[in-house]
Amino acid sequence: MTHIDSKAWLLIIAWLLPLCGFVIEVFAGYWSHRCPGGRYKSRTAAYLAVGCIGGGFLLSLSALISGISDWGLLEHQTSHSQAAPLESDNPDAHATAHFTVANVPHGEDADTGETGHGGGQKYVSGEIYTLGTFGKLRIAIDYYVDSLTLIMFTMVTLIATCIHVFAIGYMDDERTEDHTDHQVHLADGSHLHRPGRFYLFFSYMSLFCFSMLGLVLAGNIFMVFVFWELVGICSYLLIGFYVERRSASTAANKAFIVNRVGDFGFIIGLMILWTSFGTFGFKSYTDGNDGAHPEPGLFEMVRDDHGKVDVEKTDHGSIVRIQDHDDKSASIPYWLLVAAGLGIFAGCVGKSAQFPLQTWLPDAMEGPTPVSALVHSATMVAAGVYLAARFFPVFLPEVLLTIAYVGAITLFVAATIAIVATDIKRVLAYSTISQLGYMMLAIGLGGWGAGLFHLITHAFFKSLMFLCSGSVIVGCHHEQEMPRMGGLRKKMPITACTMLIGVIAICGLAVPGVSLWGYKIAFSGYHSKDAIVATAMTYAHLNPAHSLLFLAPLVTAGITAFYMFRLWFYTFAGEPRDQELYDHCHESPRVMTVPLMILAFFAIFCAVGGEGGPLYTAISHSETIPEHIADSAITLPSHKQIAGYHQQAGILALLVAAVGTLLAWLMYGVGRPDPGIIRRQFAGTHEFLVEKWRFDELYDAMFIRPVHVVAAWFSSFDRRVLDGVLHWFAHTGVVLARWNRWFDESLVDGIVNWIAVRVQAIGQSLSVVQTGRLRQYVMFIALGVVTLFLLMFALFPQT
Amino acid sequence: MDDFHILLPTLVIFAPTFGAIILALMPRDNVEGLRYTALTITVVTFVLTLMLLGGFDFDDPKMQHEVVAAWIPNWNINYQLGIDGISLPLVLLTSFICLLAMLASWSVTKQVKGYLILFLLLETGMLGVFMATDFFLFYVFWEVMLLPMYFLIGIWGGPRKEYAAIKFFLYTLFGSVLMLIALLMIYYNGGQHFDLVGLAEQAQDPEGGLLVDLTMQKWAFWLLFIGFAIKIPSVPFHTWLPDAHVEAPTPISMILAGVLLKMGGYGILRIAFPLCPEAVGHASTILVAIGVISIIYGAFAAMAQTDFKRLVAYSSVSHMGYVVLGMGVVGVVGAAHGEGFIGSDYWAMGINGAMFQMLGHGVSSAGMFFMVGVVYDRVHHRNINEFGGLASRMPLYTGLAAGIFFAGLGLPGLCGFVGEVFVVLSAWQFSKLMAIIAASGVILTAGYILWTLQRVYLGAEYKGPHEEALTPIRPRELIVAGVLLAFAILLGIFPNTMFSIMDDSIQHLANGMAGKIGS
Repeated sequence: MTHIDSKAWLLIIAWLLPLCGFVIEVFAGYWSHRCPGGRYKSRTAAYLAVGCIGGGFLLSLSALISGISDWGLLEHQTSHSQAAPLESDNPDAHATAHFTVANVPHGEDADTGETGHGGGQKYVSGEIYTLGTFGKLRIAIDYYVDSLTLIMFTMVTLIATCIHVFAIGYMDDERTEDHTDHQVHLADGSHLHRPGRFYLFFSYMSLFCFSMLGLVLAGNIFMVFVFWELVGICSYLLIGFYVERRSASTAANKAFIVNRVGDFGFIIGLMILWTSFGTFGFKSYTDGNDGAHPEPGLFEMVRDDHGKVDVEKTDHGSIVRIQDHDDKSASIPYWLLVAAGLGIFAGCVGKSAQFPLQTWLPDAMEGPTPVSALVHSATMVAAGVYLAARFFPVFLPEVLLTIAYVGAITLFVAATIAIVATDIKRVLAYSTISQLGYMMLAIGLGGWGAGLFHLITHAFFKSLMFLCSGSVIVGCHHEQEMPRMGGLRKKMPITACTMLIGVIAICGLAVPGVSLWGYKIAFSGYHSKDAIVATAMTYAHLNPAHSLLFLAPLVTAGITAFYMFRLWFYTFAGEPRDQELYDHCHESPRVMTVPLMILAFFAIFCAVGGEGGPLYTAISHSETIPEHIADSAITLPSHKQIAGYHQQAGILALLVAAVGTLLAWLMYGVGRPDPGIIRRQFAGTHEFLVEKWRFDELYDAMFIRPVHVVAAWFSSFDRRVLDGVLHWFAHTGVVLARWNRWFDESLVDGIVNWIAVRVQAIGQSLSVVQTGRLRQYVMFIALGVVTLFLLMFALFPQT
Repeated sequence: MDDFHILLPTLVIFAPTFGAIILALMPRDNVEGLRYTALTITVVTFVLTLMLLGGFDFDDPKMQHEVVAAWIPNWNINYQLGIDGISLPLVLLTSFICLLAMLASWSVTKQVKGYLILFLLLETGMLGVFMATDFFLFYVFWEVMLLPMYFLIGIWGGPRKEYAAIKFFLYTLFGSVLMLIALLMIYYNGGQHFDLVGLAEQAQDPEGGLLVDLTMQKWAFWLLFIGFAIKIPSVPFHTWLPDAHVEAPTPISMILAGVLLKMGGYGILRIAFPLCPEAVGHASTILVAIGVISIIYGAFAAMAQTDFKRLVAYSSVSHMGYVVLGMGVVGVVGAAHGEGFIGSDYWAMGINGAMFQMLGHGVSSAGMFFMVGVVYDRVHHRNINEFGGLASRMPLYTGLAAGIFFAGLGLPGLCGFVGEVFVVLSAWQFSKLMAIIAASGVILTAGYILWTLQRVYLGAEYKGPHEEALTPIRPRELIVAGVLLAFAILLGIFPNTMFSIMDDSIQHLANGMAGKIGS
């Protein structure tokens, strides 16, 4: 095996650990015996799963630390730049240092692969093994490790570990041999009793972790697709974990099939890239290329050393020159590269539940809550954003604009639905969709770092909030409807408190104008949302035609604050609405609250320092900012321009969020104006929102029913037409055969028989000459000979 | 090469025949003895094919283990065998699936002796088809395989067995007749011999040619193609398949889907393509269209089925569509990229993908039919809407079945994915529209497979009759299903194990033909 960098080794082991865990855990039904003396099965499978993912976290962390020291990830990239004047008027001293990066020529910034800062390479990549080689074409399982990979690995493993631990408590009732599922009613009206599936849950979770880490580790887009599908199937298995519930299995199917619609686009993107570039790799290998000229990757082929796309106008439309290729004249039509980008993005739309494929995510809440926290908020759904960010160099301006608009529409639509949702998990689900929309928007606007920044902070505070809701659900004995809750803060103080942290974080509240040791008093969400809003504002100023891309996130920031505080007030504040529920309610055990506290810690502090802080700085080391293409109508904002709008945007966003919070407090904390009255006044709108903008009905009428109709057509075409033709032939064959038989028996046989009868009759009549007398025979012979001779002479007279 | 290696191909082919003779001499009431003897024979055959693999040179694209002996010298007919990278994986697949199907044959209780004898004769026929390098011998084996299959469906089948058996027989026979015509055309135009290797070289010779008259060559190609397309089966020649599958007993369904269908694809690669290269260039668009139509049509038709086995049968039609598509994406030189990009690499990838799809489908469809058989043996019905809740009653079985159905769905890490995706990826250079339509198949496939899984395995209650018969999976069934799933995973994770066998021969074929098509 060729040399593999130590960071890659660590990550590869961290990646494979959960797979080993899965293989062992999935058979745990056979080996996890009962606890001594109890009616519960042992927790061994869970401990194993926690061990695997926890080990993965330690390995990822050591890889991250090694990356920090090798690549100087915490140093601002401007450390060697002399041209950058400091902007003293910026309140955020830490951010300032970074913003100057905009003054550095992009070439140096983008081309970290070969001439990166600090002289070293900022990524390592290489091959793990080959899937197939066809002439010059090669598809392999590769790894690609840069600061983004390291951070994603650490984030995923850390959150997954917390959620695994939480799940030990949450899934505890699955350890019995006789688990009662109160949501399943059998034909005789009783509830379903079944053996618990504690071990199975953890084995699925381990499989998911393996798939998710593989997706992040992937060094080529094909491998991303492979793990993309695998996380999809894990999501399917986990959503449908309660296989007996019809709603769960339907939701699982929906999730997978809707994702496949996106993947259909993904495949088209893959086909275009594969046929046009002949490779799937992101960048050339750093490991094991023997010093020879390395095979270039997609990023190096689309953009030149300065991060520029070489567009050329020809008679047949614009083309993009392929860089770094053996054949200097190689090119790809411009529209085709746009189509490839849109195709890949279609995959991201499905996975990240963006408009118009957002419908599967709320239904996915049928899965157990830890699943919602891990798969459907923190990691898998963020994979779409991750891929959009990872593939950023291949996206042309048209694609980016599409991404931005899709993000903007999504974040608004989802937020409006969240206002009226009453199921605590569904509110969070819509909130997740909305926040993913923010990330997509940021990436589409060129705010690469801001989008990923939000991805990480969101992962922490949203998984925190999901776990809190899980804690509430367990505490309230599987009640999820918020109108039945209320006042729970007294019964569940830790949950209420950590939830509040999450809510504040997502709303982006902060104490303006005050700073502590040079840091703003704000939770993680403030920094990342601020970065996005600032990017959007700058973008809107540079491209006034697209002001909507700024308005949508700004308004939605207010809506977000409103529905999140609504959720909190509904659940934890006020007086209990259902006294019985309240009385039986209890705080969750330590195994569940400790993960909450850990996640709350990160939800507060992970983004400390904002855009000057360690997290953002480390992410930005992987950034590849494209220069905008000269003849594109869009101007992407630079870091410096964004910095100019930063303060203004921050104040606006804070103001809007404060208004939202205030409204929520008035309506759901104080009760004036009464939300019930408003609901009645806007009954039509309310219903429209409750019906989720009627996307489900629309898709049902547009796609699902037609598909079944076509299927029925094809099936009956087979039976009626194709088999009909065949049967006609068969039938004709039989008819012909009957005919033939008649012909044979009546005509042919008739003639033959007639002849036979005649011959017999002649024989009979001639039998009289057969007398046995020799003289008579001799006479016959003589007569015969004479007759023959006469005939001969008569017929052949000359010879 | 020593004597043993010269004998080996013959041994492989006739080991099952030899076994059939032994069985014929055994008493008919010792059912277990008969079964174990037959099982031993299939194991021996499998081991012999593994020895073929052991002696195989992966880097040699040409025929290996060649055996030539005059058979009917007057007509230049030889007993001629050989294997290359295209046939070896299929030979392995055949002996492998036969071994598992034999294990699954314990469920057959009627006239066991006759069944086992026919089963083994069928195996001989199939192995012969994959190893014959003489066209006439190929034809003979092709017919030899037909008869046992006819009886196996017609005697041991379900309620409409006679209809299904006759439909199968006539369909295939029709194809054989077309092949026979083509065989004669080639014989009289190609130096009056049947040596496939020699004929291929002649056909791909840039100076000369086999069927020099293009019209004649096109005729020969289409006759051959239809003959093989019936076997694949491609839409619209596929209607024998659902009936044959529905009526055939489980192990025979496994062989039918796992091996028999592959003979069509193999025939195209071994005979129709190399012998009529120029015609392939002209026919490619239609081939691709047939492949794509099969993919979509099969998937839609599968979605509408309520008979579990019929559904799996239609999924076979859909999956085998990728095989035709992959073979048809003829690429000579990529026009868009000048000299740097050689389209024939993409074509070779398409053929590789098609071959892999055949192997992957061999494993996954045999597995799917077996899984259907397992529940059918218990509850004696196959109505998808009258299942449900099997997951809680037969958890291990459900886990294995889910794995195998996911392989059919084309999930990465399982065997169905690699073939499908490689074929689709290679299709774009040929036709963007066709590639897009083919790719849309992934949505439909996910739709009908997941919907089926939901109706059969998930849910709270079993809705059909004979609920008490739903007992957990038995060890013998477990072995068959487990081995199939293990191979589905193995092929899915390490596809290069197969590509490394196939690639050189396929490259050789594609390059040889590309020269002729491109000129």
